[in-house]
Amino acid sequence: MANNSEDLHKKLSDAVVKMEEDEAVALSSEVVSNGFDAYEAIDHGLASGMERAGVLFEEEEYFIPELLMCSDAMYAGLDVLRPHLPSVDSEERFKMVIGVVEGDTHDIGKNLVKIMLESAGFDIFDLGRDISPEVFVEKAVEYGADIICLSTLMTTTMKGMAKVVELLKERGIRDRHKVMVGGGPISKSFSDKIGADGYAPNAAEAVRLAKTLCEKVPVGEKYGA
Amino acid sequence: MRGTHRVQFEGRNGADAAEGTTILEAARMAGIILESPCNGVGRCGKCRSRVSLDSIGNVMSPANELLSEAERSEGWVLSCEASINGDVKVFLPETEHAGKNMKILEKGLGFEIELNPGIRKAYDPERNVTLVFGARAPDSHAEGPSGSGPEALIGTEEGDTSRRAYGLSLDIGTTTLVLSLVDLNTGRELDSVSALNPQAVYAQDVLSRIKFASEPGGLETLRSALIEELNGMISLISGRSGVPKRDIYEIVFSGNTCMLHLSSGVNPETLGMYPYTPVIGGAKLLEASELGIRGIAECALVYLPPGISAYVGADITSGILVTSLFERAGVTLFVDVGTNGEMVAASEGRLCAASTAAGPAFEGMNITMGMRAGDGAIERFETAGGEVRAGVIGGTNPAGICGSGLIDVVGELVINGVIEANGRFASPDSGKIPPFLADRLTEHNGKRAFRVEGDVMLTQKDVRQVQLAKGAVRVGVEYLLRAMALTPSDVGRVLIAGSFGYHLRADSLINIGLLPKEFAGKIEFAGNTSSSGGKAFLAGRQYRELMERRVREIEVLELADMDGFEKAFVDALSF
Repeated sequence: MANNSEDLHKKLSDAVVKMEEDEAVALSSEVVSNGFDAYEAIDHGLASGMERAGVLFEEEEYFIPELLMCSDAMYAGLDVLRPHLPSVDSEERFKMVIGVVEGDTHDIGKNLVKIMLESAGFDIFDLGRDISPEVFVEKAVEYGADIICLSTLMTTTMKGMAKVVELLKERGIRDRHKVMVGGGPISKSFSDKIGADGYAPNAAEAVRLAKTLCEKVPVGEKYGA
Repeated sequence: MRGTHRVQFEGRNGADAAEGTTILEAARMAGIILESPCNGVGRCGKCRSRVSLDSIGNVMSPANELLSEAERSEGWVLSCEASINGDVKVFLPETEHAGKNMKILEKGLGFEIELNPGIRKAYDPERNVTLVFGARAPDSHAEGPSGSGPEALIGTEEGDTSRRAYGLSLDIGTTTLVLSLVDLNTGRELDSVSALNPQAVYAQDVLSRIKFASEPGGLETLRSALIEELNGMISLISGRSGVPKRDIYEIVFSGNTCMLHLSSGVNPETLGMYPYTPVIGGAKLLEASELGIRGIAECALVYLPPGISAYVGADITSGILVTSLFERAGVTLFVDVGTNGEMVAASEGRLCAASTAAGPAFEGMNITMGMRAGDGAIERFETAGGEVRAGVIGGTNPAGICGSGLIDVVGELVINGVIEANGRFASPDSGKIPPFLADRLTEHNGKRAFRVEGDVMLTQKDVRQVQLAKGAVRVGVEYLLRAMALTPSDVGRVLIAGSFGYHLRADSLINIGLLPKEFAGKIEFAGNTSSSGGKAFLAGRQYRELMERRVREIEVLELADMDGFEKAFVDALSF
């Protein structure tokens, strides 16, 4: 095949944007059979496609179903490429705990954010929904999470986000974990008020925010097996 | 120095407010309801107002992308973000006045009430007194748990007053109140009045209200605001109908679970937290005087009908009663669409209910040019014979679009290919769209939009909001039917209750996919069944016992806990 690796990266990226799962698998196999670098194919191909899908989502060109279909294509390609990555110590990737705050069981938004963050190379520990502030903090400590990501759809459960921040302060570990918040009733002013580190209005913005909060994700070690 | 400043709302009241108060807070102090569906966090832009240019220097207003530079230079601010540091003169947008001409449906489905009111009077000629009996003793006096006890003597009056017995049914909507006066001797409705729910001044939607009530003093603020409004409405309806207030012996409160908590002074906090447990389930008989209701008969009672769950309330019980869901042959689906979509499927006496978070799109909120169904709102939209016909409430220039108009517009655009199956606006030069519609595809703030009528636009973001709202209802319908091992084609009749109104076209509900296409020709509008059911509970005490028993037989589905819910919801987003 005449493909060079750059062509393949472009095609992989397009396959994700066009939601073509089979195509993503075929192209990923081609990367492997040509002996091209799996990490680069993920970074310049699959992850780049997902980033473009996120932009289309923000521009309202794509909606939730499209974003999910793009992620299906990305994950399918990832399954092929991952075994060919050099194993790296997962300590070197930025870690996050994510969950829906106590009292709320609406988790579709959280799941979207999780997919986008995962595709951007973050190591995500999904705690699920209806999670107490104590559990958020305990798990963040246990996993050594750089960021705690909090979501809620309900006005009545927003106060749980403030409690997470307070709890971090009480334990004297506020500086060890960044806190980002999002969800239907959440706003930048609310985030400022409770002393969180940032607010994202959508899943694509959440990735940018997380990257800013971590300054920069180290190149080369984002996709550990 | 921090002091108090005057915030004057032109043509309306004003308020003296402390430095740093926002204009939204000042409006609330002045008793003015400004739309604030995002709960005053600067995200929806519905609370915009204009500050006079000579006082704009006394306002601190942070930049917000919802306001253009040009608008800011004209004095436009978001009331929730603009705080005062001096006297301010504020002009409210015209839509704020829409409340005065609010269209509220007060007619329900025909249901023949067997007259047997909760209040019974008996004249005793020997003693020349009239005895007043309640359906049972008020709960505070009853022995043991509340429930159906024997009839109880609640009052004695001089002379023969047996011909004078009236009752009220109050439909407590989150947004609007409807009070109906009923002659308990004939069962006839004499008059009805409506008003905005004054609690909306403090918090607009159910969740915000729960939050407000759980803060110190909040519950009492909300409770007393409602009761004061009710007292005013009672005076109005009594004056208008000539029925003396003292001849009113009973009031039925019909409303969602949160509204019944707030109206009877019970903290609804647990409704706002998983597992969403109500403190009171209705089926209560209270003393009107203890609730602060004034001027009516001293012994008057208030009945709260039974609710079904935290998000399927007594208003739905009322709906089930007047649409005879338990008695109907075949399969019937009852849907009440508001911020929460509640739905009940009935099959040969078996009932299953669910509620779903539709969001406020269908009430015109969350929509760029959305508004409630008041003057200037586009409420109807049709395309036929190469032209567009839009119906505007009040026949004025279009100022915005309300829920029914929104559903019509999106429905028409979907069937004409202007909106594609994935919800995107098609390209105007794709050649697939009728030219008269392609001509209306334009840009709004740099993004693709459809010009509905006049300057009223439907943006891509608005279509996304409609997708979320209709997807939520649709997935609820599908799960309800599945839980009963039914398919859409098994459904014989679909009853739409609530604020949607009769002017909504059934076809549009199918065109946008809120309901499956198998429902075509089976959809009927049932009107405000919360109100009509409230009247039935008032005039027929037998319905209380019946429904108190029957609500326990209704299965409630917790949709978010169902297998595959997320995938089903995502699938339901497409057109």
